[in-house]
Amino acid sequence: MPRRRRISALLLLAGAMALWPAAAYAGDDGGGTDNGENGENGENGEEEPAPTTTLPMGVAAITGTMPPSGVDPIEGVEFTVETADGQEIGSAETDVDGVWSVVVPGPGAYRVEIDPETLPDGVDLTDPDRTEAQVTVFEGRPARVLFAVGDIGGDRPTFLERLAQNTANGVKFGLIIAMAAVGLSLIFGTTGLINFAHGELVTFGAVVAWFLNARGPQWQLFLAGFVAVMITGLLGATLERGVFRPLRARQVGLFQMFVITIGLALLMRHAILIWYGGLRHSYADYQGQTRWDLGPVSITPRDLTIVCGSIIVLVAIATMLQRTRIGKAMRAVSDNPELSEASGIDVQRVVLVVWVMGAGLAALGGILLGAVVAVDWQMGSRLLLLMFAAVILGGLGTAYGAMVGGLIVGLVTEISTIWVSPSLKIVFALAALVLALLVRPQGILGRKERIG
Amino acid sequence: MSTEATGNGALLAASNLVAGYVPGVDILRGCNLELHRGEIVGVIGPNGAGKSTLVKAIFGQVEVRSGAVTFEGDDITSASPHQLVARGMGYVPQVANVFPTLSVTENLEMGLYLQPKAFDRRMADIRPLFPRLSERLKQRAGSLSGGERQMLAMARALMMEPSVLLLDEPSAGLSPAFQDQVFERVHEINDAGVSIVMVEQNARRCLQIADRAYVLDQGGNAYSGAGSELLHDPKVVELYLGTLARAK
Repeated sequence: MPRRRRISALLLLAGAMALWPAAAYAGDDGGGTDNGENGENGENGEEEPAPTTTLPMGVAAITGTMPPSGVDPIEGVEFTVETADGQEIGSAETDVDGVWSVVVPGPGAYRVEIDPETLPDGVDLTDPDRTEAQVTVFEGRPARVLFAVGDIGGDRPTFLERLAQNTANGVKFGLIIAMAAVGLSLIFGTTGLINFAHGELVTFGAVVAWFLNARGPQWQLFLAGFVAVMITGLLGATLERGVFRPLRARQVGLFQMFVITIGLALLMRHAILIWYGGLRHSYADYQGQTRWDLGPVSITPRDLTIVCGSIIVLVAIATMLQRTRIGKAMRAVSDNPELSEASGIDVQRVVLVVWVMGAGLAALGGILLGAVVAVDWQMGSRLLLLMFAAVILGGLGTAYGAMVGGLIVGLVTEISTIWVSPSLKIVFALAALVLALLVRPQGILGRKERIG
Repeated sequence: MSTEATGNGALLAASNLVAGYVPGVDILRGCNLELHRGEIVGVIGPNGAGKSTLVKAIFGQVEVRSGAVTFEGDDITSASPHQLVARGMGYVPQVANVFPTLSVTENLEMGLYLQPKAFDRRMADIRPLFPRLSERLKQRAGSLSGGERQMLAMARALMMEPSVLLLDEPSAGLSPAFQDQVFERVHEINDAGVSIVMVEQNARRCLQIADRAYVLDQGGNAYSGAGSELLHDPKVVELYLGTLARAK
């Protein structure tokens, strides 16, 4: 069908545009503050959670923990901080929690040196020759410098261990993508709209949950998350009733509406930037958990809960689509809106429910992503490309396609980090997409129509 | 050119309908149609005469620019399709008339979306009419043949027990054997008490089973009358039935 093909091309264009903030962010990570070597093997390819502490205006500091994992803290390790041209600023020893920090005169480039002599017997640096690290300090938040120590990080993992660990991470990440992408796919299926602002619904949910959890009423994360999902669902309903339904009623073309969603995405993203700020924050709950070792895979209780919870939610959605009246109506409207109307289905109402559900799921995905990585104002737009990839890979317009596609995209991106830099992982999701479409142009679960 | 006055106890009446898809271009230019209880009314005419547009305008799928549609005496000109379904009108489009990714059962459930509780009772009524569908209840509708889809589409529209069924070219694209089956089904449905408006390309077959028929041309009524009369009316034969009718 030529219409489908044109829409696929449009989606690819949208994806390419979504890559832009992603690339900008990858560059930011390269020049980031974690200059010490990351001795942990668990979070391969994931950004370190940013420290939640913020500093008073005008104060800059460098801090770190020994060992970086925070497990079995080592007391009395000495660190010296110098300016880039070798002038000593100060030194500090780790306290009982293994934490040290040095206040520096202001933002700028500094050098941190560890004194290996002060490490306890039997504990050595992973790389004994690397006792210095460069760090750039920004105003307002402490720069973290970490030095990996060998016998706490354990032996370097074998290929199979890394494969198992990255697969686990990929499943976790893929489930989050799947959840966020279901709404994107269902909105496309029922109305033909490519919602470029779907990433901002992800961000909005995560930011609202952060506000309720860590700033405003300081609710427990489960309650804050639940309320944030509801509020984002309401936002979805507002967008549908206030913007997209009137546009459809005036028979505005799909391409025009697509451009409107781009504008909406920019508007929402920057409104969030103004309100939330450009920094990354973590939720107040479930941080710094000890990993459980499950065979070759180590996972925090938080992440295990996320994986199980996501599976339950996705199974619930599938059951809803398969068994309930409104779910069947959603599939019917995706198949043929006019025939749905002719069958007595109130199509506008079904679309409204799809928007509420899709926005709520996007918010839930954002909250889970925020719990795993961190909350920031661009998290959703960075995820948008992967959501588009998942939706197209799985088959346009079907919720199941989004689920399967999300899982595949998550697995491919995480497993690729065994061989290549994490900042390139999105490229692999797109390569998988192109390969899959060459074999199955309609997507994995997309179906070709029988004619006649 | 309507032969009867409107509102004359008709179950469904369209009077002076002007309607179209693109602003400024009218496909229907003052079209009339009446359906009385128990009738099969055929709508025939050359390509582009506005036959399909007429039923879509009646069913609220095309914007009506002037004129009125009444159903059981009430004005339904601006009613939406799902409201009309609730009032007892069924519509089977010519193409895309099933939900391809839904199973046959689910298609029928969607036909009864407004009264889900009546499903088992309605299935018991519908199944004997469409024995081939009963064998394929779990199959995806997209995997059915064209003829089976047409049967499913009619069955779906009948689930709500409509008093009026609008059929848009039910025999189009089907093999002659399946066309026969479709016309047989239409007759049976009518015998069961459903009044039918049937748009058809196959004018000859349509006129054979229609009580009355309208011949449309360029968005207006050209002729109307009893089906058997029109079938043998030399003007109609010459203008619209053409070689097909003369050959028989």
